[in-house]
Amino acid sequence: MATVSLKSINKWFDTSQVLNDISLDIEDKEFVVFVGPSGCGKTTLLRIVAGLEEATTGEIEIDGIEVSSAHPIERGISMVFQSYALYPHLTVFENIAFPLRVAKMPKTELEEQVMRAAETLQLTDRLQHKPGQLSGGQRQRVAIGRSIVRQPKVFLFDEPLSNLDAALRGEMRVELAKLHKSLDATMIYVTHDQVEAMTLADRIVVISEGRLEQFGTPMELYHRPKTKFVAGFIGNPKMNFLKVPCLSSNSSGVTLKLPDIGEQLLPVEADTVEEGGNLEVGIRPEDFSLSDTDKGMPMKVEVVEHLGGSTMVYGSVADHLNFCALLPGDTEVSDDSVVKLEVNPASMHVFNSNGDAMRRREIPAMHR
Amino acid sequence: MEKYTFFQKILLYIAITVFMTYILLPFFEMFMASLRPLEHLFRSPYQFWSDDMSLKAYSDIWDTVPLLGRYIFNSVFLATVTTILCMSFVIPAAYSYARFNFRGKRISLGLFLGVNMFAGAVLLIPLYKLLRSLGLLNTYAAMFVPGAAFLVPTGIWLLKAYLEKIPIELEESAYIDGASRMYILRKVVLPLAVPGLIVVGVATFIGAYAQQFLFAITFNQKREYMPLPAGIFEFVGYQSVIWNELMAASIVGIVPVLIIFLFLQKYLVEGLTKGAIKE
Repeated sequence: MATVSLKSINKWFDTSQVLNDISLDIEDKEFVVFVGPSGCGKTTLLRIVAGLEEATTGEIEIDGIEVSSAHPIERGISMVFQSYALYPHLTVFENIAFPLRVAKMPKTELEEQVMRAAETLQLTDRLQHKPGQLSGGQRQRVAIGRSIVRQPKVFLFDEPLSNLDAALRGEMRVELAKLHKSLDATMIYVTHDQVEAMTLADRIVVISEGRLEQFGTPMELYHRPKTKFVAGFIGNPKMNFLKVPCLSSNSSGVTLKLPDIGEQLLPVEADTVEEGGNLEVGIRPEDFSLSDTDKGMPMKVEVVEHLGGSTMVYGSVADHLNFCALLPGDTEVSDDSVVKLEVNPASMHVFNSNGDAMRRREIPAMHR
Repeated sequence: MEKYTFFQKILLYIAITVFMTYILLPFFEMFMASLRPLEHLFRSPYQFWSDDMSLKAYSDIWDTVPLLGRYIFNSVFLATVTTILCMSFVIPAAYSYARFNFRGKRISLGLFLGVNMFAGAVLLIPLYKLLRSLGLLNTYAAMFVPGAAFLVPTGIWLLKAYLEKIPIELEESAYIDGASRMYILRKVVLPLAVPGLIVVGVATFIGAYAQQFLFAITFNQKREYMPLPAGIFEFVGYQSVIWNELMAASIVGIVPVLIIFLFLQKYLVEGLTKGAIKE
C-alpha cells in the first residue's frame, strides 16, 4: 500500500519558476502518467518525487509520511531512466543485483531475487551478457528488472520508451501494462506522448509550463478537458479550433456564429460569458462527418490521407488553416475540392478568452 | 570512393615523413652515436657507417658510472611515486569539478591553468626555501612532492573532461538504489573511467619522468637519490665528455617509458579521442 501526495510543490531554478503550486493525490496501486510538452516540468516533478531534486517549497508524502527531504531509499521508490542508465561494465545479472549489493543482501537470497526478476522479464538466458550486447528492448527490461528487484513501494518511470522504435514501443507499452497488473504497485510515469498516457494511465496529470492543467482519467480528459491546452494535447489527431463571435448566452448554452452554418446553440454551461465577445470552438477531427446536404462548414481540401480504416482530410475552414477531419475509410474526397462538414453541436467544445473550457452539458455517444 | 585522391595522399605522406624525420632524427643520431667508438665521433670527414661500430658502450656504461642502475631505478621509482601521489589528488578533485557546483569553481579551475604557465624554474627559489624549512632537502620527497604538485592541475583538467562524459543518470540511478558517494565513485565511476585514468596516469608518469632533472639538481645532492637525467652528468668529465656512453645510457633510460607507451598506446589513443564520435 503506497499513496503519494504532493502539496503545493514549487520549484525555482535560479530566477525561473519551473513548477507552480502543484498539488495532487495519487492513490495506492494507481498508474499515473505525467504528460506535457517537453520543458513543461514533468521530469522535474518526477525527480522531486524521487528525491533527486528538492522542491523549493511544498511537501511530499508517501504513505502518509512526510518525505520531502528524505533519501530516495527511505522513500521506498525506484526509478527507470530514459537512457536506462545500465552500468556498461557489469553483466545483466550484476546490473539487476546492484541495488541488492548496495543493501548487502546475503548471496543466496540475492541470487533468488535476481532470478525471479529475470524470469518475470524473460532475461534468464541473458544474465551473463553485458548491456552493450543487448537490444533496446532487452536493455529496457534490464532497467525495469533493476527497479523491481528491490520491491519498492512506488515505481517511477522517466520516458522509458522514448529511445525505442515505434514497433517496439507499442510492444513494451503492453508489457508495462501487464507488469503493473502483476506487481500491483503504485506507478508514476512521465512521457510527452499522449498516446502512451491515454493507453497506460489510470489517471493522467497534464502539465503545461509548470502548472497542473488537469488531473483525471483518460476519458475524462478526452471528453471534458478543462482548458484549451488539455483539449489540444489529448486526442490524436489534434482538436481543431475556430475563433467565432458569441451572439448570446443563456441557461441553455451559448449561441455562436459558425462559418456558413450560421447561428448555432451549443449546450454548455455559459453563465460567465459576455455577449459580443469572441469565443473559441474546439472540434475533434473524429466528430466531423460529411454532410449529405448543402449545409455544413465548408472545408477547402488540401491533402487527403487514406489510412484504410479511416481517411484524414486536411484543409482550411474559413480563415483557419490546418483543419483536420477524420472520416470513414471509404470516403471519396479529392484534393482541392470543397467539402461540407457536419458536427453534432453537443460534441463541440467551447473555450473562453482565457482558454478555460465551458462545461459541456452532455457527452454525446460516439457516432461510430 | 576513395577518401583522398592520389595527389592528396602523396602530400600527406610527404608531410608525415617530414614530421616524423624531425621528431625521430635526434633519437636515431643518439643511437648511432652510442654505437661508435669515442674517437670515431670526432673523425673528419663524417662517416655514417664504419666497421668499428659496436655495442661496447652499452656494457661500458655500467663500469664508468657504477650507480647507473640505481639512477635508472630512481627515475622509475620517482616517476611512479609522483604518479601515485598525483593521482590520489587528481581523482577526487576531478570528480568534484565534474559533478559538483561550488563557489569559486571556475576561478580555481582558471588558476590551475594559470599555474601551468609558470615554468618550474621560476618557483625554484621559493620551493627550495619551503623544502628546507620542511626538512625535505636531499630526500626522495624533495623530488616527488613538487613533481606531483606541478602535475596535479593538468591531471585535473584531463580527468575532469573525461568524467564529465560519464552519463549522470548512472550515478543518479545508483544514488536512488541507496549507494553512497564513495560507493558510486568506486563501483560505477572509476571502472568506467579506466581509459581516462590510464591517459591521465601515463601523461602524469611521462611528465614526472621528464621534469625530474630540474628538481633533482636543485633539491638533492645525494648521489644515491639522483634520477637518471641528473646521474647521466657523470659521463661529463673535467677533460672530456664520453659521448657514446652518454648516449647509450640515455637510450637505456628511455626504454622503460618506451615500453609503457607501447603497451598503453591503444588506450591512449582511445582515451584521447573518446566522446569525439557519437556511439
